[in-house]
Amino acid sequence: MKIVGVTSCPSGVAHTYMAAEALQKAGKDKGIEVHIETQGASGADDTLTKDQISAADFVVLTNDTSIRGTDRFKGKKVVQMSATKIIEKADALMNKLEKMA
Amino acid sequence: MAENAKKKKTSWWAPAQRHLMTATGYMIPFVVAGGIIFALSVMISGQPSAPTTGWLGKLNSIGAAGLALFIPALGGYLAFSMADRPGLAPGFITAYLAVQIHAGFLGGILGGILAGYAVNLLKKIKLPANFRTLSSIFIYPLGGTLIAGGLMVFVLGGPIAEIMKALTNFLNGLHGAAKAPLGVLLGAMVGVDMGGPINKVAYTFAQTQVNTLPFLMGGVGAAGATPPIGLGIATLIFRNKFSSEERDAGIAALVMGTMGITEGAIPFATADPIRVIPANTIGAAVACLSGFMFGCLNHAPWGGLIVLPVVDHRLGYIAAVAMGAIVVAVIVGVTKKKYVAEDHTENSDDDDDIDFDVQNF
Repeated sequence: MKIVGVTSCPSGVAHTYMAAEALQKAGKDKGIEVHIETQGASGADDTLTKDQISAADFVVLTNDTSIRGTDRFKGKKVVQMSATKIIEKADALMNKLEKMA
Repeated sequence: MAENAKKKKTSWWAPAQRHLMTATGYMIPFVVAGGIIFALSVMISGQPSAPTTGWLGKLNSIGAAGLALFIPALGGYLAFSMADRPGLAPGFITAYLAVQIHAGFLGGILGGILAGYAVNLLKKIKLPANFRTLSSIFIYPLGGTLIAGGLMVFVLGGPIAEIMKALTNFLNGLHGAAKAPLGVLLGAMVGVDMGGPINKVAYTFAQTQVNTLPFLMGGVGAAGATPPIGLGIATLIFRNKFSSEERDAGIAALVMGTMGITEGAIPFATADPIRVIPANTIGAAVACLSGFMFGCLNHAPWGGLIVLPVVDHRLGYIAAVAMGAIVVAVIVGVTKKKYVAEDHTENSDDDDDIDFDVQNF
């Protein structure tokens, strides 16, 4: 399974990167390929490529602030939740997505 | 069923909150650049008022430009978040108008909402495909600005300016103990989510009124520094209650707190919310209350110890930060159990308790 995601938060210094890290770590533990773009205070990092997006089974987005460029995910299966929830439950999220795939 | 009912209830509030947070995120760099440069020029001049002549006057004008733009940026990016790119210009213009007619931050926020709403309405007009460029180049900026700006100037601006005047007079009229409830409330809001939405509401409230009511930032600025500094101190005093990663994070938190970045406390709060969040909330409330009581005036729309040059009653401000930080450190130190290294991977893997919807975009 492959997952891409975009994380962001109001101040763009903490939760953005903690959520990205949580998703990457959870993916690594389960052998899921995870690519996360962070839209923090210093702009977008690790911008998702077209190939990464088209290969992904699911898209995970934070919903604390507006994500830029959501039109890239047209036709994808998208999960939106708060960065805090992702940080707490990244493992559970991956488990459940794996069952759905 | 229950899920649906819950969704309905939050359907307008959740996006409203998201738009506000997006806008505040874009606003903060204006505040930091403007506020700190402004503060610097005042500090170097050594006078209690903003310098107007010489190179210091010029430096001051750089800071003042940042401060002049931050409410327009708030409104502009609010509309941007609501209506995407077409919202930006109408939002900026309308919020700028709000500042011009002294409608303050309320006017700025309302101006942004009006502009975003107006552009979203205009988007509903469906033009034939070959006229589509007309919309983005003419109709959205022109129509959005005329509707939102017009409403601001002709209808809403006056009443909002009156409300702002009444609010300012009311807050200015608070003396001594009368400031206590406001101090506790604002401080607690700053501490409770450490840079999250509630913190931003309190911060923005104080920041946008820094010109007329500098005592607000005197308390809020001190409160914002308190959670990270307090937790940093706790990691130094109660070493055996923190993991080695947390002790490293403690040093970083001390630095961030000094710079006025409340977010430095977040790693501790995610690791142990039940103890850390109440400690932060109480500590920040103590700091804000003390700042108000000591009559600290902070002329920069930013917090932490870095703004000390533009604070009146500096010792009081330092004391406010110190008292709040000690409260945080003591509460965390007393309530936290001794740290025992545990195997994280084991229990987190079994935790399958999560609910979410998968949408098709």
